[in-house]
Amino acid sequence: MKKNIFKSMMAALLTVMAVNVATAQQPHVYINPGHGGYDSDDRNMVIYPFHQGDSAGSWESKSNLRKGLALQEILQRKGYQTSISRVTNTTADDLALSTIVALCNQSGADVFYSIHSNATGSSAVNNFPMVFYRGYTGAPQVVNADVLAADLEPYLYASQSTVWTHNYQIWGDWSFRPEWGTQGYGVLRGNRAVANLSEGSFHDYIPEAYRLLGLQYCWMEGWNISLGADKYFNRLGNFSQGVISGNVRDDRIKRLQENPQPFIVYGDDNLMPIHSATVRLLDDNGTEVQRTMTDTLRNGIYTFKYVNPGTYTVEVTEPSHFTQTAIVTVNANASTYQNFYLKRVRDTPPVVLEYSPVWHEGDPAVKCSHPITLLFNWDMDSATTCSAFTLDPPVEGNFKWEDSYYRLVFNPKDAFDVNTLYTLTLKKTAQHGGGTPMDEDFTMQFYTQPRNHLAELAVFPYEGAPVHIKTPTVELRVDSLLDTYNLFQKLRVLDSEGNELAWNKRSIKYNKNGDDYGFVRIPLTRDIEPGKDYHFILDVDIADTAGIHLPAARDIVFQGVDAGMDKPGMEVVEAFENADDYAINDYPEAPASLKLATSTDRLFGSKSLQLTYDYGDRTSFLLTHLNGTWNASFVRGDTLGLHVWGDMGYTEILANFSTSGERVSVPLCVVGFHGWRYVTAPLEALSPGEEYGFSGFTLRRTDELMGKSGVIRFDNLLKKASSGINEVSIAGLKVKCEGDYIVASADTWIQGMELLDIQGRSIKAAGGNCLNVADVAPGVYLVRVHINGRAATSKVVIK
Amino acid sequence: MNKKLTIVTVLLAVVMSLPAMAQEVEVTSRQRLLEGVEGPAFYPVLNTTGDRLLFTTQDGALKYYDFADDVTTVVTRDYVAGHDACWGGDGKVYFVTQQTGEDRLVYRTGHSYDLATRETATVTEAKHGAVRAVPATRGGAMKAPGRDYASSADIGNAAWTEGSRVHVTVNGEERVFSPVDSWAGYLWASLSPDGKRVAFFAAGKGIVVIDLRGQMLAMLGNYEMPCWYNNDYLVAQNAKDDGHQFTSSQLLLLKADGTWQAELTKPASMSMQPTCGGGRIVYTTIDGLLYEMKINIHE
Repeated sequence: MKKNIFKSMMAALLTVMAVNVATAQQPHVYINPGHGGYDSDDRNMVIYPFHQGDSAGSWESKSNLRKGLALQEILQRKGYQTSISRVTNTTADDLALSTIVALCNQSGADVFYSIHSNATGSSAVNNFPMVFYRGYTGAPQVVNADVLAADLEPYLYASQSTVWTHNYQIWGDWSFRPEWGTQGYGVLRGNRAVANLSEGSFHDYIPEAYRLLGLQYCWMEGWNISLGADKYFNRLGNFSQGVISGNVRDDRIKRLQENPQPFIVYGDDNLMPIHSATVRLLDDNGTEVQRTMTDTLRNGIYTFKYVNPGTYTVEVTEPSHFTQTAIVTVNANASTYQNFYLKRVRDTPPVVLEYSPVWHEGDPAVKCSHPITLLFNWDMDSATTCSAFTLDPPVEGNFKWEDSYYRLVFNPKDAFDVNTLYTLTLKKTAQHGGGTPMDEDFTMQFYTQPRNHLAELAVFPYEGAPVHIKTPTVELRVDSLLDTYNLFQKLRVLDSEGNELAWNKRSIKYNKNGDDYGFVRIPLTRDIEPGKDYHFILDVDIADTAGIHLPAARDIVFQGVDAGMDKPGMEVVEAFENADDYAINDYPEAPASLKLATSTDRLFGSKSLQLTYDYGDRTSFLLTHLNGTWNASFVRGDTLGLHVWGDMGYTEILANFSTSGERVSVPLCVVGFHGWRYVTAPLEALSPGEEYGFSGFTLRRTDELMGKSGVIRFDNLLKKASSGINEVSIAGLKVKCEGDYIVASADTWIQGMELLDIQGRSIKAAGGNCLNVADVAPGVYLVRVHINGRAATSKVVIK
Repeated sequence: MNKKLTIVTVLLAVVMSLPAMAQEVEVTSRQRLLEGVEGPAFYPVLNTTGDRLLFTTQDGALKYYDFADDVTTVVTRDYVAGHDACWGGDGKVYFVTQQTGEDRLVYRTGHSYDLATRETATVTEAKHGAVRAVPATRGGAMKAPGRDYASSADIGNAAWTEGSRVHVTVNGEERVFSPVDSWAGYLWASLSPDGKRVAFFAAGKGIVVIDLRGQMLAMLGNYEMPCWYNNDYLVAQNAKDDGHQFTSSQLLLLKADGTWQAELTKPASMSMQPTCGGGRIVYTTIDGLLYEMKINIHE
């Protein structure tokens, strides 16, 4: 027994002598595994199957400690002196930052590594190593801290077991966190050692979080930091053994998205890590040197530690995959990376197990938006399967693979044609992932419905619509109920520079079951600007609950206007401040479903008049003054103006005038808009020479589907007395502003022109059809063109 | 226990607790030091009489400020010299500088600075490893690998830490104690002004007060950087962090017997690195603003 003990001791001593060539002066490394204790200053990534706060899950403190302990073990083996700030993961040993610094200073360490992993803290997902030192980038506060970082980073970045998204970065913490001033990272502040804080990777990149759960992966980061220390202390030649590490993945099966929220993956991380694969290291004679297994923590990592230099075979076996081997060369004090992509064992030809749509002669027709889905018994080869897929008649579309190539989905680019019999053939040349083709062709047929696009019933703003500036509301109405999932993301309002205006999402209204038509109605959060153009964008993929989408995207241009702006020359006839002054008079009785009230949503004064209506079986009703008369009289040539708050109910508003025995109704507007709008009507229908009293409004239902009920508001009713010049449309009138002149042309002779500002104030005038505007500031103006005692007004932009 | 006895016990407990409850501290003044004279300043260290203050500037220079003369003087511009500098009982400044040697090992050299002559002397040659200045009641010492230095044969009493041990020198006799377990180690040992007690910090445990025989007298809580305000009270730092940076740092007044403590700065403040001497309290802030605080303790 004693002899055996002696032999063992000698063997151990020889081994240590073989691998450790310590110098007389051992470098002293202080190791600080960052964070600790599963506390509030720790970082817990919640990944399946672990719950928030589960210490078995992903915690930065845990992986930092594993890396730190590995680094300590490796450095001691390499002949370093080490100190470490913690060896357990409890609240008590989660030391304060100034304590860690003081401990390092007291230890007399040459260098200090604070070991961490990183997080973006945002929805962005990255994965790359970063190292920090105290000071500005390129100007470290402690000499050589930048060199230590530069010596470390390439070794971290050399890891091929992970998937990097960017190159590594080295920063002085004052440059990286300028908002902190010169406060910097707490463990670098006051640290006399040549100190680095290493963020080895990003733990909020979910595949990396799974890797950081693994002991072997953390050990490799410790090993790579040791190589950085060796480089820094010129000791790379002092250690005679190397390591092999890598990742074992399926060569094509996608990794499962088991987390509650889908997570982003890059590159090879799209592939399924293989659990419990046996990985053997074999020497030239086929003799097993080491053996390890991948864990069951969804990372596929294996590592062989302390391997003597030479050529080896790494063999990976796992029952559901073919065994794979690779020849690797190990060098002294270096990392060898070898990843494996195992091919799954597939022992039968591929067949279509299920398909959709299933249709037989006599069945109801299939929706034109219905995707074609084929489910296979094996994961399929994408190239051969897609090329074996034909539709008759042909349809342009997109292929999408689901469930790791087990399910193929074909979506028509637009929609299937209506009333068409389609035949799908999947030729037997389609192969599964192992390369075996199908035994026979697969065919199926389906017949399509007579409708393949959404029909737009109404939209506001419509093309060219004037829209009141106050938090405008937009609305789309279609012929069937819309799929409301993320629907608000498929509509946008952009200003003229392409900036998107935010929706007031709390006030979104969607269609619901039982509604007569589909709709979405959304207000903006902010006002728009008068005189500016805006775009209302509708995406083509706005679809109903059956997936039937719009025939095309829409880009609707509309203008911001201030409906409440001053109207020079107009007198206020009625202010609509008091609801008690008005009445509803139907033909002949007033319906109970109509209600008048005042509203604080107004343009002028303190109130507006609000009419809540439900037509029921009626088609129209009257809004009258309680006294029976309105305090105004009108003659032919006058202009009537009214401020109306619309509900897009398509009620037609007509102004009623009466004189001895004659009654005239003048159309003012159809309420096909949301929000306030100023509408006017020239009273050309009144008889010349007669004075009319204004008797109220007729409100008439014009749309059977959309105008059943709603709310309309009224504010200031205006009158402009006739000037003797009638505002009429003039045949063939065209007004252009080119260069220094506004030029008008019409089918008849033009007497003169007058330039008005947008408030209607006269700026200048001239006889004839030309007006020099060289001295007029650029902007939007009105031009009044006079012809034979009549006048017409056009908008003009002077640039 | 019968009812009468219970009532008597409760009353007794209330009466005994009254003095502690009545105790309070009043911060009578808080004044910026060297405002407009110096930029950010860190690692303040008062001498035992409180009339001189060591501090380190943002660019690493070690300076001292003489309260009587209102003059600052550069001790050295060697970058890390001020991180653990101290005043010796002989009035000298003891500090350590470091240089990079062969294969990038760090070599540290011990120095003393004589205020009268303004001369710096090398007291320990450059050594690889830990070299630390230790204040003593009648001088200063330098702990270095292989060879320690003492300013004289009789430097008086001193206390320092090394690993998870506190060393106490009393009349030339060195005593080593490990009264509490601490994996990571002990820090910030200091003698009380009357030389009868030692306070130090045990990582993971907090501030410990022992007598000169190593007998533990009190544990004052998990605070850092204790300094003796007088024989009965200490000032310490209560810093919080998120693992990367400080989130707050508060100063506390702690009664040395562990029976009472009070806030000297607000919990959300960034006051740190307190130092005491001669009835003065000086501290700095996260951005390097030096303050002198005066307090009245009502007992």
